[in-house]
Amino acid sequence: MRTQVQVAAPRLRSTDVLVGLLLVVVAARFLAPGAFDAPAVQAWSTVFVAVCLQALPFLVLGVLLSAAISTLVPPSFFARALPRRPALAVPVAGAAGLVLPGCECASVPVAGSLVRRGVTPAAALAFLLSAPAINPVVLVATAVAFPDDPEMVVARFLASLAVALVMGWLWSAFGRGRWLQLPPRHEHPPGTGRAAAFLSVVQHDLVHAGGFLVVGGLTAATLNVVVPRSWLDGVAAEPVLAVLVLAALAVLLAICSEADAFVAAGLTSFSLTARLAFLVVGPAVDVKLVALQTGTFGRRFAVRFAPTTFVVAVAAAALVGWWLL
Amino acid sequence: MNRLTQHLLLVLLGGVTLRVSLGQGHLAYVQAGFRPLLVAAGAVVLAVGVLGALRTRPGGPEHPGPRVAWLLLAPVAVLLVVAPGPLGSFTAQRQAAPVVAVEGDAPLGIGADDPGQSHRTMTLSGYAIRTQQSDTSPLEGRSIRLVGFLSPREDGGWYLTRIRIACCAADASAVRVVLDGEVEGVADQWVEVVGEHTPSLPHPSEGYPEPALVPVSMTPVDPPADGYED
Repeated sequence: MRTQVQVAAPRLRSTDVLVGLLLVVVAARFLAPGAFDAPAVQAWSTVFVAVCLQALPFLVLGVLLSAAISTLVPPSFFARALPRRPALAVPVAGAAGLVLPGCECASVPVAGSLVRRGVTPAAALAFLLSAPAINPVVLVATAVAFPDDPEMVVARFLASLAVALVMGWLWSAFGRGRWLQLPPRHEHPPGTGRAAAFLSVVQHDLVHAGGFLVVGGLTAATLNVVVPRSWLDGVAAEPVLAVLVLAALAVLLAICSEADAFVAAGLTSFSLTARLAFLVVGPAVDVKLVALQTGTFGRRFAVRFAPTTFVVAVAAAALVGWWLL
Repeated sequence: MNRLTQHLLLVLLGGVTLRVSLGQGHLAYVQAGFRPLLVAAGAVVLAVGVLGALRTRPGGPEHPGPRVAWLLLAPVAVLLVVAPGPLGSFTAQRQAAPVVAVEGDAPLGIGADDPGQSHRTMTLSGYAIRTQQSDTSPLEGRSIRLVGFLSPREDGGWYLTRIRIACCAADASAVRVVLDGEVEGVADQWVEVVGEHTPSLPHPSEGYPEPALVPVSMTPVDPPADGYED
């Protein structure tokens, strides 16, 4: 005969885990102060922290804007501001990207809340792609980085806008609503005030998008330390390969769109068209952005959207480069 | 992950961001001019976390947070435990690139000597660009002072080196000037070198021309607060 004993095991709560992890961190700080002195570890850590810090203000800006859109702006505003037909709403939303001065981390949460507010996904995606690529800050940075090639600014603007519009129209033609899985957001009972709702949305989005940003930072720092520059200069002489390699590099390095022009300017062994591909692909697809998109729109969306955007962006850069540069 | 944990993570992230941006720490990662944005972002994140933690009541409705949020602890832990410094000779060896001169109608000059001195202080990139012009006459017969850190050259010699960043440490590139003479030193040691221009030397394995300087005097100096060149 067996007696059933119900042991009320104390459930491990996440707060306890957090305190435990913090104790490990503090212990590592004092018990092994020299364990992280290897140059590769130091360089990796510097780049990782740099990517996170560089992106944080833009992420915060994006989250605040996105929370304002989802709690303070009535849905009817967007219904009036955007043309009803997706085919026309796409260029309007793409052109609206001109006015949001931020990098790509800001535009993902904003695009997410636009979709929640009933904006047609095709238009929200056009905005998502155009905002980080063609805003004034990015265009001025490009002009400063390429003082001898002013046509680079025009080429970047045209190619990036083309990517945004083509992707928007592709979505309205072939996109399926079920690919979009926006994570459920806790709806507040009517009693709670707007301030409380705003705060709650900001907190939720910061924790969520911040976590995905760190995924991107980890990837970018690892590649930055693992891939030496000399590997790149070896392929620069092959015109087609050079475009593809710089496009892939833009995905892997995940440099902020406001800084990528300076990096591209430094890749002097590559053709202008290859460097244009770097500038057009970077703000549209990179590891940090794909991680953020997965968090905001769901995995089924990201596995379709990111590769398609990559192909469209490389094609747009190659065509515009062939035409203008 | 419960609500309180999410708020505490934001408090930690906002707190370390503020600490790094209010002190000198951020200079190792981003441009000096980025500081106001970092302070503002850190303050917002901290405030959201503190407000949330104060409003969380035990036993209230629980909304399990995403697992990915645990990663927010990673930058906090790296900043607290590793506290990585500015990029140095490790990065310089991997992110070096040939210097390309901007050819104008006339070669770029280097200006008069420093006030009260018999040498001219230049940035490493300023010097490197001028050595690659077809006409290097502005450099000839001048005594030039450069400040940077030592990084090893493949042939056993040393470079004087600076890291340049455009925006943050992820876009770092290195400017290197070969110290063409007998130099005793260790990697990452900051030095002040006064010397004279000498024709560029070929890179030991790649062959592209590298700017060079014959050192006349070399003095160890303290690392500057902001070691990156713009």
